[in-house]
Amino acid sequence: MDQVSVTAASGLQSRMEALDMVANNLANTTTGGFKLDREFYSLFTAADNEAEDDSASTKLPLIQKQWTDFSQGVLAPTGNPLDLALSGKGFFAVNGPSGPLYTRNGSFQLSPAGQLTTSEGYAVRDINGKPIQTQSQDPLEITPDGSITQSGETIGQVQVVDFKDSSTLQKMGNSYFLPSDPKTVPTAAADTTVLQGKTENSNVAPAESAVRLVGLMRQFEMLQKAITITSDMNKQALTEVARVGG
Amino acid sequence: MIRALYSAASGMTAQQTNVDNIAHNLANSNTAGFKARRPQFQDLMYQTMVQPGAAAGAQTTVPTGLQLGLGTRAASNEIVFTQGNFTQTSNPLDLVIQGNGFFQVSLPSGELAYTRAGQFQMSRDGSLVDANGNSLSPQITLPANAQGITIATDGTVSYSLPGQTAAQTAGQIQLAGFINPAGLNSLGQNLYQPTFASGDPVLGNPGGQEGMGTLLQGYTEQSNVSVVDEFVNLIVSQRAYEANSKVVKAADEMYQMMNNVTR
Repeated sequence: MDQVSVTAASGLQSRMEALDMVANNLANTTTGGFKLDREFYSLFTAADNEAEDDSASTKLPLIQKQWTDFSQGVLAPTGNPLDLALSGKGFFAVNGPSGPLYTRNGSFQLSPAGQLTTSEGYAVRDINGKPIQTQSQDPLEITPDGSITQSGETIGQVQVVDFKDSSTLQKMGNSYFLPSDPKTVPTAAADTTVLQGKTENSNVAPAESAVRLVGLMRQFEMLQKAITITSDMNKQALTEVARVGG
Repeated sequence: MIRALYSAASGMTAQQTNVDNIAHNLANSNTAGFKARRPQFQDLMYQTMVQPGAAAGAQTTVPTGLQLGLGTRAASNEIVFTQGNFTQTSNPLDLVIQGNGFFQVSLPSGELAYTRAGQFQMSRDGSLVDANGNSLSPQITLPANAQGITIATDGTVSYSLPGQTAAQTAGQIQLAGFINPAGLNSLGQNLYQPTFASGDPVLGNPGGQEGMGTLLQGYTEQSNVSVVDEFVNLIVSQRAYEANSKVVKAADEMYQMMNNVTR
């Protein structure tokens, strides 16, 4: 196959994967604590072509990784005292079925046993990694540093952690994150405040995604044209050039 | 490509659920004792195209990998038990709970149910019943000639009889509390039933140590639906639905272009 078609096909493949990401971002515009993904284009260079002469080397655009935009989502007031939102960097830590999970979705509930949990029932960790146990049905008050008081008594402090390199975080679905390297140890988040009665909306901007959608479509169209033109040129080379003798 | 189509479809389904929920809340914006429901959405599984930490060369590893998300789903719609506004009615049997408690009523089947709508009436035999005829539990019965019915903040029901000066006590209304009221099961008709998630009801007197709240006579609790918030949600939801339908269109057009590569 000729070089142009191979490169254009690789570009088409990348734009399709980019569209998958835009589709997932837009589908999650109302998912609490969702962080949008963007594609990260890199260039594949065939090993045998890494010579000084790069005129005809095999170089293909590829999406090898995505990066997650951890910018702050809009904090929407809900009035529910068990809704917590983080203002600033960091994550809530919860006890998942196989170790801690990290999330920015702070729509918490109380379990029948009186523990503060996520909607899946995973216990929210305090700063010592233990579940937070309420003492009665009295309302909870949560201060900006995450301390929870009930009837004037402090019953725990919500753990808010951060990672040195947030790009190593993997999405686990249900708005949970986990570092790809299990040995990564989170640190306590600095300058992050916990807000009670608010939730963090998804940080997907539908208008911006629509613009990206149009961009993707046009790039896709151009690449498709490139393949068609190449194919026309090949066809002409075969029919016209061969006709010279006749 | 197929991923994008299905992700967008899941987004459209989620927004339909969102609008269904908004419609239900708005339809009940005048229902006394109604508590709004709020949907929660979650992102679905991620398809891992490049495993993070995989070897990218002899010395290097892929630091983040490529994960493509597969859309969203409606995970739950929890009941938001914030206090509604109070309206004065001057009806002595209209009660409001200032706090977290619920009235306990017994259904015709004998089961117990819980409600925040405190618009009580007298039944034929003089007991306090809700608008559907379910009697308060424990039952409060008043004689037919009772006058000047007074319900104190602690739930004590007293009345006077014609020709007598001393007030009589008919009983004390009890309230029930749940550790996780958001996990209650809605039965309709303003009634809730406990589930495993809500925990068992804890009975207590109004104004007691359990934090049930106090009673206020002659008022009803309005729905806690904020019409303005619901309209804002409706606009957001409609636009999100539109954006997802645009993705379906874009994916379809890109598919068409792919098919036109070979002519």
